[in-house]
Amino acid sequence: MSENMECTRRQFLKTAGCAAAAVAAIGVVGGMPGVVTEAQAAELDLVSRRQTGVYAADANPKLYKLRKSQDNPMIKKIYAKDGFLSDGPCGHKSHELLHTHYMDRSASIKALKAKGVKLKA
Amino acid sequence: MQEMEKVMMKGRAPQNADPNKFSFVQVDPAKCQACGTCDEICKTGAIQPVGKDEKRHVLDPAACVNCGQCLVNCPYGAIYEEVSYVDAVFAALKDPNTVVVSMPAPAVRYSLGEAFGMPPGTHVGGKMHAALRKLGFKYVWDNEYTADLTIMEEGTELLNRIKHPSHHAPLPQFTSCCPGWVKFAESYYPELLPHMSSCKSPIAMLGPLAKTYGAKETKTDPAKVFTVSIMPCIAKKYEGLRPEMAASGSRDIDVTITTRELAYMIKKAGIDFKNLKDEEADPVLGMATGAATIFGTSGGVMEAALRLAYEVLSGDKLTNVDLKGVRAHEGIKTASIDVPKFGKVNVAVASGLDNAKKLCDEVKAGKSPYHFIEIMTCPGGCVNGGGQILNPSVRAADAGSSRILAAINKRLTMKAQA
Repeated sequence: MSENMECTRRQFLKTAGCAAAAVAAIGVVGGMPGVVTEAQAAELDLVSRRQTGVYAADANPKLYKLRKSQDNPMIKKIYAKDGFLSDGPCGHKSHELLHTHYMDRSASIKALKAKGVKLKA
Repeated sequence: MQEMEKVMMKGRAPQNADPNKFSFVQVDPAKCQACGTCDEICKTGAIQPVGKDEKRHVLDPAACVNCGQCLVNCPYGAIYEEVSYVDAVFAALKDPNTVVVSMPAPAVRYSLGEAFGMPPGTHVGGKMHAALRKLGFKYVWDNEYTADLTIMEEGTELLNRIKHPSHHAPLPQFTSCCPGWVKFAESYYPELLPHMSSCKSPIAMLGPLAKTYGAKETKTDPAKVFTVSIMPCIAKKYEGLRPEMAASGSRDIDVTITTRELAYMIKKAGIDFKNLKDEEADPVLGMATGAATIFGTSGGVMEAALRLAYEVLSGDKLTNVDLKGVRAHEGIKTASIDVPKFGKVNVAVASGLDNAKKLCDEVKAGKSPYHFIEIMTCPGGCVNGGGQILNPSVRAADAGSSRILAAINKRLTMKAQA
């Protein structure tokens, strides 16, 4: 029937996450901590915690002294005049080792569809 | 079958095999509850109900891009991995005639700690390097080095396309780091392949460099070098087996393991991970910048590339490197960056293949206003990859919440079909 009848798991989790956060906030305001902790609410969004960790590391000079690829001394070394990739980025040797070509694989998808398989793309 | 970090592994270890001939993930019918969570997660439709009881099955390897999002989101742990090279790595580490080198991806270090009770997002790069040395890796090389190298290659390619766009190398340019996305484009949008950066992914650059440049710099016989790709990703196992990944004269990537398999190996070796002292990677193929570590999140490759493109196009130093306008939690993000002496650089970032499709359709229709588009298959990027430590809330079967969600989802799906 109609698509809008479906409550997807992701939407449900998001709603559940908001509800948990709200309960946590009420818990703090109402002086009843421990029902749903903020930590538990945050656990629902593992991905953003990992992303936060990534950007914090990028901005932490103890972990990464430099923040631009072109400033990396070992990058300068490999592209130097006497370096392994002396003809520079996208040079001859780079094309040999570091670049590639792609293959049209759509024939197998067409074959599946011809057999009656319904795909989403 | 063997369990590694809560995921069942069948343990096939194919060498020189065509990765298009088999699946990398499959459903165990004994555990599948036909809840339909994987159907909803899968953006290609590769996983579908089969038979009367509607248990799910990966229909055909051709339709699947091997991202493993079905596996990490299954509330019942019913989806297993077909391929594991853990035994091969342990064997190589014991062999005195083999020089085993590590190649861990940026995102691995933001999840690995979770297997040892540390909070999600903790940067454990230093401990990871120390653990790899304890396991017996002779050279601890790091894929973050080749993330920096990718920026040099892919950024230069982008600048060339901006200067001289052609039908061989048109704009927009798509990123090519994500193996799920590359297979998706090859299978479902082949007409867009000229837009794909010709750059290999960082790991597919590090493999051949390890066996040529790395061997030379360390005075090692290249034939003895055994390269271990360590990834937050199952699709990287497919990429490592691609026949064309042999630029060094032998297989560029000997084996690929995931974050979960590395955690399993560290535990099996009895290493006290939490108390390890931080160590650096071996610099020649291991030194990296912040621009490299952000490759692990949606928007990161774009931001790293812009930190180069800005300076090359303008001739000026970029003083504030925090280009927050391209940082994408989920979905699609677009930005227009003002570059002095050039004008506007228009960019788009998408994670999740449903979002990628929207940007692909625009390009196909000739209506895409962008110079550069970054695509990652997993929502949020590699930090949320199919090879990462599982989110404990997905399998919160003990608490029952996941099973309740799955049951609700099943009922709603059934109603909608009725």
